[in-house]
Amino acid sequence: MLKLDAVTVRFGGLTALSDVSFEIPQGEILGLVGPNGAGKTTLFNSISGLVKARGQITFDGKNVIRLPLHRRARVGIGRTFQIPQPMHHLSVRENLAVAQVFGAGRYDPKRIDEILTVMELSHKADADAASALALQELKRLEIAKALATEPKLLLLDEVLAGLESNAKRTFMLKLRELHRLFGLTIVIVEHDIETISELCTRAVVLNFGQLIADGTPAEVFANPAVMESYTGTAHA
Amino acid sequence: MTELVLQALFSGVLIGGVYALVALGLALAFGAMRIINLAHGELVLLAAYMAYLVESRTGLDPYFAIPLALIVVGVASWILFLLVDRIKDHRELNSLILTFAIGIILTNAILLLFASDVRTTSSAFLQDAVSFGDVYAMRGELIAFVLALVLMGVLWWWLKSSWYGRAVRAVSSNRGAAQLMGINPTRIETVSFLVAGALASFAGIALYTMSVVQPATGHALTVKAFIITVLAGVGSIPGVFLGAVLLGLTEALTVTFASSALQELAGMVLFLLVLFFMPNGLFGARARRG
Amino acid sequence: MSHSASHPAAGSPAGSSTARGIALGAGLLVLALVPLMVGASPYMLGLLISALILAGLALSWALLGNLGGMVSFGHAAFFGVGAYASALLAARLNVPVLLAIPIGGLFATLSSLAMLPALRLSGPYFALAILAYAQIFRILATELDWLTGGAAGLQRFPSLPTVFGLDLSERAGSYVLVLACVVLFALVYVVIRRSHVGTALRAIAESEDATRVVGVNATVLKTWMLLLSAFIAGVFGALNAHIIGFLEPDYAFSGIWSVMPIIAAVFGGYRTVLGPIVGAVVIYLFDQVVAKSLIPVGHQILLGIVLAVMVLVAPNGLSGLVARLFPRSEKHHAEA
Ligand SMILES: Nc1ncnc2c1ncn2[C@@H]1O[C@H](COP(=O)(O)OP(=O)(O)OP(=O)(O)O)[C@@H](O)[C@H]1O
Ligand SMILES: [Mg+2]
Repeated sequence: MLKLDAVTVRFGGLTALSDVSFEIPQGEILGLVGPNGAGKTTLFNSISGLVKARGQITFDGKNVIRLPLHRRARVGIGRTFQIPQPMHHLSVRENLAVAQVFGAGRYDPKRIDEILTVMELSHKADADAASALALQELKRLEIAKALATEPKLLLLDEVLAGLESNAKRTFMLKLRELHRLFGLTIVIVEHDIETISELCTRAVVLNFGQLIADGTPAEVFANPAVMESYTGTAHA
Repeated sequence: MTELVLQALFSGVLIGGVYALVALGLALAFGAMRIINLAHGELVLLAAYMAYLVESRTGLDPYFAIPLALIVVGVASWILFLLVDRIKDHRELNSLILTFAIGIILTNAILLLFASDVRTTSSAFLQDAVSFGDVYAMRGELIAFVLALVLMGVLWWWLKSSWYGRAVRAVSSNRGAAQLMGINPTRIETVSFLVAGALASFAGIALYTMSVVQPATGHALTVKAFIITVLAGVGSIPGVFLGAVLLGLTEALTVTFASSALQELAGMVLFLLVLFFMPNGLFGARARRG
Repeated sequence: MSHSASHPAAGSPAGSSTARGIALGAGLLVLALVPLMVGASPYMLGLLISALILAGLALSWALLGNLGGMVSFGHAAFFGVGAYASALLAARLNVPVLLAIPIGGLFATLSSLAMLPALRLSGPYFALAILAYAQIFRILATELDWLTGGAAGLQRFPSLPTVFGLDLSERAGSYVLVLACVVLFALVYVVIRRSHVGTALRAIAESEDATRVVGVNATVLKTWMLLLSAFIAGVFGALNAHIIGFLEPDYAFSGIWSVMPIIAAVFGGYRTVLGPIVGAVVIYLFDQVVAKSLIPVGHQILLGIVLAVMVLVAPNGLSGLVARLFPRSEKHHAEA
C-alpha cells in the first residue's frame, strides 16, 4: 500500500535520507529502527508531507510526493509526533473533532467518543489539551488525533518510549487492538529490540539516512552491521 | 529629455542615501529583536524637527542640532525599547501594535508642538545650487548624501570589527547560542536601539536640509524603510543602500514622468512586486514566509 | 476526576458561558435601543451612528486578527472600496441603495482577492503589504476621476430609502439599520467561531504543523476570513457613505479607517466578539467628546496613549480586564 522509491531529503549540506526504498503491504506492522539522528522522523516527515523530499512515495497507487501536507491526511496517512504536538487552545475533544472534520471529511461525535474510550482519554475529554495532560496522555492524544482522521496508514514515532515494561506491554496490546479494530497498516519507530521483535513481523533499519537492513526482526537484529550501528550509538 | 532623466536619476540617488540611513535603523532593531519598529520613521521626524527648532530659534545651521537630536531621539528610542521589552505575550503582534501606537503619539506630539505646516531649511548655504554639467543639486543634498555614505561606512566597520558589532550579529542570527556564549541579549538590544536612534538623528537632520518635512512624513518614512528592507533583505549594508537608491530612483522618475501624486504609489507597487515575485528580496537575503 | 461541570475548561463551549454571552448581548442590545426611547438629540444619535459604523469596522478587523491571525493596517482599503462601489452603483446604475450596500461589500471582497498573495507572508510583512494596498486604492480613487469624480469627490448619490414606514435616512432610522448590521455580523462571527472552522483557526495560530497534519488547509481557511472581513468592512463603508451622502478619496480611504478599528478592537479586547463593539463606542465617544474638546488639533495623541497603555497593561483589552476582575474559573482564556 505504501511504496518508497529512492526517497531523498537534504537539509542544506546534510543528507538526512538518501535513496531510501522499500515497500509496505496492506495490514503490516513494520518496525522502523536506527540510532539517534538516523533519519527515522525525517522519513515520517517526508511521508506525511512535512518536509520536501525527492523520489517517489506511492500510497494506494498514487504518487503523493507533491501532495501538500493537509491533503495527505485526507488520502489516509495519519501520524504522531515524537514530541507530542496537541493543538493549542483546544480541548481534547476539539482536537479530535478538528482532526475528524478536516482529515476524514465528516463529523461523527459518537466515533470521537469511541476513540476517546479506546485511547483512555474520556476523563480528560473537555480538558485543555496543551496544558492539562500528562506526557503519556499527550502521547495517547497523538494517536487519538491520528485515528480521528480515519487513516489507512498510521505512522507512530516513539509512542512507547518512556514507559516501564508492564505499561509497555499493555500498550503493545492496545496497538494490536487498534491494528485489528481499525484495519490499519502501521509503521512504528522504536528503539527497544524486544518490543520490535514482539510487535512487528518485519523491521527496516536506517543508519545515517540509508537503509541498511530489511527483514524479519530476527534476521535484522542478527545482522552484525545493524548491531554495530545500533548499539554503537545507543550507548554513546 | 535626457537632461530630465539624468536630473531625476541624480536626485533619486541623493535621496537614496538618506533613505538608506532610515532603513538601516529599522533593520538594526529588527535584527536584534525580531520586531518591526513602526515608530522608526517618527524618530527620524523628531530629529528633523529638532533641526527646525535649532534653526528657527537660533538661526544656526541645522547641522548644529546634531547633539540635541542625538539626545532627544536617543532617549525616545531608549524609552521605546524599554516599553517594547515589557511585552511578553504574542510579541510579534503586540510589538507591532505598540510601536504603531507610539508612532501615533509622536506624530501628534509633533503636530501639537510644531503645527502641521511643511518645514524645510532656510539656510541659503544649504539651498545653493551646485551644477555638474547639466544636472543640479542643492548643496544640502550633496552634504546629506556624503554624510550618509560616511555613516554607512562607520556602521559597516562597527558591525564588522567591534565586540558589540559581533555580538549584535550573533544575537540576530541565534539568540540562544549567543546567550550561551555569555552575551546579554538585553544589553545588545539596548545598544541596537540606541544606534538605530543615532542613525535616525542624522537621517532626520539630513532630510530637513534637503527636503521638506511635516508631521505625516514620519509614517511615510517608516513605510519607505520597510519597503527598502523588503527590497534588500535585512542582510547587508550595501544591499540596503542599493534598495534605498532603487526606491529613490523609482520615486524621482515617477515624479518626473508622471506626477508627484503617484510618487508613493510607485514605491508601493515596487514593494508588492518584489514581495510577491522575489520573496527573498532583490539580493536574496532571507525568507519571510509565514 | 469528573470536574468538567464545575470547571469549564478553557476553549470548550461551556453552557454557562454561552448563556452569559447571550444575556450580555441581549442586555447591550436593549441598552442600544435606549437612545431611541428617550429621544436622544440628533447630535447624540449622529455620534452613536458613527460609533456603530466604527464598531462594524472594528468587528471586521478583529475577525481577521482573531480568527485569521492577521494584523491589518489597511482596512481603509475595504471600507473605501465598499463606499465607492455602493455609491457609484446607486448613482450611475440606479441600483436600489439597500441592494447596492451588500454589493459594495462584495466589491470589497473582490478587492481583497488582490491581497491573496499576501496571505503567505508572515506577520509584519502581511501588515505592511495590506497597508500598501490601502495606499494604492486611495491613489487609484483619486486618479480615476472619470469614475470616482477624483479628488473633488462624489456628492450626488442616493441616500437610504424608507422601508415599512421607517425613514432610514433619518437619524433614528439610520441608527436602527446600522445597529442591526452590527448585530447581524456579530452573530455571523459567533457562529463561525463556534464552528469547526473557528476551532481549527483557533489552533492554527500556535500549532500550525499539528493542525495542518490532520488535514486542515490553513491557507484556505485564512482566505475565507480575509474575504469575509473585507465584506463586512465594505458593507460598513457603504452604509457610512449613504448616511453622510458625500465621498472623497482622502476621506473614504483615510488612514483613520485603518487606525481606529485597531485602537477600538485592542481597547475592547480583539479576541472577543463584544470587545471590539464596546471598544469602538467607548473610543469613538471619548475621541469626539472628550479628546477633541481638550486638544482640537492632534487629539489622536490621546488615542495613541490609550492604545499603548492597553497593549502594555491589558493586552486582552477591556474584556480581559473584566475577566481578571471577575474571574469565572481559575483557568480563563480571553475568548468568551
Ligand atoms: N528541519 C530540519 N532541519 C535541519 N536538519 C534536520 C531537520 N530535521 C532533522 N534534521 C537532521 O536530520 C537528521 C535526521 O534527523 P531525524 O530527526 O530524522 O532522526 P531520528 O532518526 O528521528 O532520530 P531520533 O532517534 O533522535 O528521533 C539529524 O541529523 C537531524 O539533525
Ligand atoms: Mg526521531
